[in-house]
Amino acid sequence: MIAERPPLHPPAARQGPGALPRPMIEALDVVLTRHTARSQPGDRRAAGVGAGTELAQLRGYQVGDDVRHLDPAASARTGEPHVRLHVPERVQTTWVLLDVSASMAFGTAQRLKSDVAEGVAQVMGQLALRRTGALGIVRFGAPGPPRITPLRAGRPAFAALRHVLAEGVAPDGNEDASALGDACSALGRLAQQPALVVIISDFRSAADPASVLGPLRARHTVLCVEVYDPRELLVPDVGILSVVDPETGRTARVDTGSRRVRERFIALEAQRRAHLHDELRRLRVGHVALGTDEEWLLKLGRSLR
Amino acid sequence: MSFASPVWLLALLAVPLLIALTVVRSRQRDRFAMRFPAAATLAAAAGAEAAWKRWVASALALAAIVALLFGAARPQRTVRVALQEASIMLVTDHSGSMAATDVAPTRLAAAQGAAKTFVDNLPDGVKIGVVAFSAAPDDVRPPSTDHGESRAAIARQTANGGTATGDALAAALGLLRPKAKVSTPAAIVLLSDGATTVGSDPEAVAAEAKRLHVPIYTVALGTEDATVPNPDPSGPPLPAVPDPVTMRRVAEISGARAFSAQDADHLGAIYKTLGSQLGSKAETRDVTVVPVLGGLALLLASGGLALRRRA
Repeated sequence: MIAERPPLHPPAARQGPGALPRPMIEALDVVLTRHTARSQPGDRRAAGVGAGTELAQLRGYQVGDDVRHLDPAASARTGEPHVRLHVPERVQTTWVLLDVSASMAFGTAQRLKSDVAEGVAQVMGQLALRRTGALGIVRFGAPGPPRITPLRAGRPAFAALRHVLAEGVAPDGNEDASALGDACSALGRLAQQPALVVIISDFRSAADPASVLGPLRARHTVLCVEVYDPRELLVPDVGILSVVDPETGRTARVDTGSRRVRERFIALEAQRRAHLHDELRRLRVGHVALGTDEEWLLKLGRSLR
Repeated sequence: MSFASPVWLLALLAVPLLIALTVVRSRQRDRFAMRFPAAATLAAAAGAEAAWKRWVASALALAAIVALLFGAARPQRTVRVALQEASIMLVTDHSGSMAATDVAPTRLAAAQGAAKTFVDNLPDGVKIGVVAFSAAPDDVRPPSTDHGESRAAIARQTANGGTATGDALAAALGLLRPKAKVSTPAAIVLLSDGATTVGSDPEAVAAEAKRLHVPIYTVALGTEDATVPNPDPSGPPLPAVPDPVTMRRVAEISGARAFSAQDADHLGAIYKTLGSQLGSKAETRDVTVVPVLGGLALLLASGGLALRRRA
């Protein structure tokens, strides 16, 4: 089982996510809180460990139980002391679905797409773990089943997040069109509590977002962060260019000197993205598009407001 | 087609080398490809471009190089230019044997038709003269540019009498070379069907013609077993046998060609060839300008195509 999962590695041209200034993260916190308010009832600011509101069970008092949990109604009915135990529910659960396919290790401007994805995951993780939240990570796009880091809170969650982000992306040559779908269905089985699901990907695979995000959106709040590179939207005139797709390995030799070719490329890419945006808008999931040539943190904050 | 400087053609050996170099470099370029996640979209945007279209500009440039190399070798073309000064004597036999019908309709009619074709095929500036002979030369026309007179002289003949070939040739020679010093281009065309019966030896006249630079083209007419009707109604038909050997000797001695015609069409063809040969001479013309202009046009086309792809 372990043998069929080839190791991930950090891409060769890794630049890092860039500066993450604290004030901007604070501002993003407020924005994100407002964004996720509709899916979960209750006061966000509840603190405390193990004092949730959902009843787990009523059982007889045993030596060692906290006497404050004695339930008067049940004790009066039965004549014996009973305690009420609640589900130790975290306030906010966040799942980060991170795309680690080979196409993410590409970037022609300030940084790679995987660097932007790493930055977004880092920021989301920090915000999730505030106020005793829990964070889980699902990495998809690498060959094999999605790699799931289960829900953790506090310092172990930070360590797990750092470890996951340091592993990097999948090697070239592996194509998996159903990776996003597998990750979403795995998450659907795993995450029972309503949570904030952040999908960080370039959405270039052939999967139709409607079919994979629909079930997820019903229970959770979904936020799609689309990472793109400006050269994926338009191609400059560089003469005859030989290109190879990092995932499928398909080669093409194209004359970018022809204006017809360049314009057709722009049209096809715009059409694909417009279709994607329309689908996401129709599903009413949050959507942000971040490029590698801009201040992604600023844009993230502005788009979510 | 000949070349004035054929050494340039050796440079054509470099052309396959150029082709091989281009192919090798193109393969080398394909070894390095850029990682691009939108490669499928780019391939779709380019569409299915036919593979040969990529090579059109290079092929045109190569063709231009080949054309310019041909131009450097200075090709030359041989054309036949009409002679303006030639004089030709038509010496035709109208002896009795020319009434034979082995050449349709009669030998004489076929000869007259062929001679008329000959005169028609000559350029206007060439002088034509006629010596019609049977037992002696009669109806002698000196060379003149009035072809109508010659045609009339040819049409007037009737078949009777013997064959005095040598005398007729001597008369023709005398008309072509009135003075020994004159040396304008000249030729004699002799049409006869039978052996000489009277008069001087044609071979001696042929030697004299050679000395005066006048080739005698001979056409031997008729088949071997032809006959003419005997004027004496009770006698057998008289034989009318041609003599191709003497005719050939006459032609060879004077430095020309001998022809033999078995039928009217052949006769007509021979006269046509003679007409175009005698009335013109070969000249070489330089046609360098053709491959050079072609090469320049191909260069422009190739450059234009290459620039257009950059747009």
